[in-house]
Amino acid sequence: MEYQKIRYGEPFQIRRRLGNLFRDIVRIKGVDYERGRGFIVRDYYALSNLNKILIRMGLLLTPEVKCYICGTYVDCEKCPFTDVCLKDVSICICESCLNDENLVEKYYSTSMRDFIIK
Amino acid sequence: MNWTEKYRPRHMYEVVGNEEAKKKIVEWMFKWRNSDKYGILLIGPPGIGKTTFVYALANDLGYHVIELNASDYRTEEKIMERVGFIAYGSTLETFFTGRRKRIMIFFDEVDGIDPKEDRGGLKAIIKIASKKAVPVVASANFIDQVKHKELIDVFEVVEFKRLTPKQIIIILGNIAKKEGLRVSRDDLVEIAKRSYGDARMAINMLYTLSIGGEYLALSNPLENLPLDQLLRRLSSTTNLTEIKYLLDNNSGHWEDVIYTYFDIVSRSKVMKADRREYLLEHLSILDIMLGRMKRERTYFYLRYISSILAWVIYQANKWGAVYDGRIPEYRLYTFVLNKDVREEFDDLMDRLRGRLHESRRKFIYGTVSTASLIYDSYPNLRKWVERIYGGGS
Repeated sequence: MEYQKIRYGEPFQIRRRLGNLFRDIVRIKGVDYERGRGFIVRDYYALSNLNKILIRMGLLLTPEVKCYICGTYVDCEKCPFTDVCLKDVSICICESCLNDENLVEKYYSTSMRDFIIK
Repeated sequence: MNWTEKYRPRHMYEVVGNEEAKKKIVEWMFKWRNSDKYGILLIGPPGIGKTTFVYALANDLGYHVIELNASDYRTEEKIMERVGFIAYGSTLETFFTGRRKRIMIFFDEVDGIDPKEDRGGLKAIIKIASKKAVPVVASANFIDQVKHKELIDVFEVVEFKRLTPKQIIIILGNIAKKEGLRVSRDDLVEIAKRSYGDARMAINMLYTLSIGGEYLALSNPLENLPLDQLLRRLSSTTNLTEIKYLLDNNSGHWEDVIYTYFDIVSRSKVMKADRREYLLEHLSILDIMLGRMKRERTYFYLRYISSILAWVIYQANKWGAVYDGRIPEYRLYTFVLNKDVREEFDDLMDRLRGRLHESRRKFIYGTVSTASLIYDSYPNLRKWVERIYGGGS
């Protein structure tokens, strides 16, 4: 089985010749295709539906989600919580931020920036 | 003080998780008067911060929240009596000072309002929101796309999701730090894993751990058990506290428990006649009480019914009542795996009933025993019905 990392909302090319399956893929709710750029997956449910088709061709797409605090990308498959996490999120927290002593303060300051509270 | 209350976030930025949903709500709060939607509806499972965020938002933006829990205020009359005047902008303060106080109305658990049975409850909420005098926020654990269609159509829907284990760790780490607790990382991870994204449960588990309790017991594996399992557990114990605990965590099955115990007691060969009479009489009274409570929607009687039912089951078990896996025939249609499956089953039955042009009662009592056999034997029947008759029909 080959694994391919993807990011929600960002275009990517599927490393397989799709043929007739292309039509089935673009019909999935939450999966779009932009000519010249590639496929865009919106959320986890769309991804799991897409994987149901691609798994037949020996390919599995795995999501990478952005760390809410530092902005680096986290690989869902390598996460220690992969078994219990519902994964239907597009924001996570990376291991280095999670082990940071000032995790809460950093989270709050990012959150504050989000709401632009003056 | 309860830790869930003590450490309830007071500001928006302190609420962990659901970042996108929170942004959407804040955006809506700044444009609610010009928005084409009347209010905002937050949907998501319990314990993930819906209510907390509403209060934090109100606190940060300077609103005073008037909360109405749909368990207490369900009918149009009651809702209008409580908050109707606000929608028309006629508070005493406005009358005397001419200034309108910044008020937000928050309808909690609107999924508890039945559009048919709760005479105009939903309509009253929509009516108040449509005046656009104050921002109206509603929350629900689950929304029925058909039953609550009129609410979904006019409210902006924002979905709250369960928290990820890492987000739970942030919350727990913060509390542990403030309380000066020395909790190992492994314990935090274990709690985060076992709480299934429910922050309230995770905090309670941490509290239990802090007082030296066994927090793993709090993950409540006894909640929403299938009827058969619940009956087996109930009949296998003669501990009143355990029976009460089991009943309280499985309140959806009480009616079935009463019927089944009625059947067990009346068929019992070892129980003396006077004891049998005593138990049957109490079970009959409980059945009447439960029916009346549901009809009048006086749910505060639940605690009394639960205590009496626990006592009756305790006595029945002590006097030799044994559950042998038999569910009374007239309750058979409810005997499917659990509440979710039963709801799915009911939905399917409704669709089939419509196709057969039969009344619900006639269908359930006349046709359903055959249908349940078919459904149990063919698990893909639902998919088949959806394919033939359409998913939303």
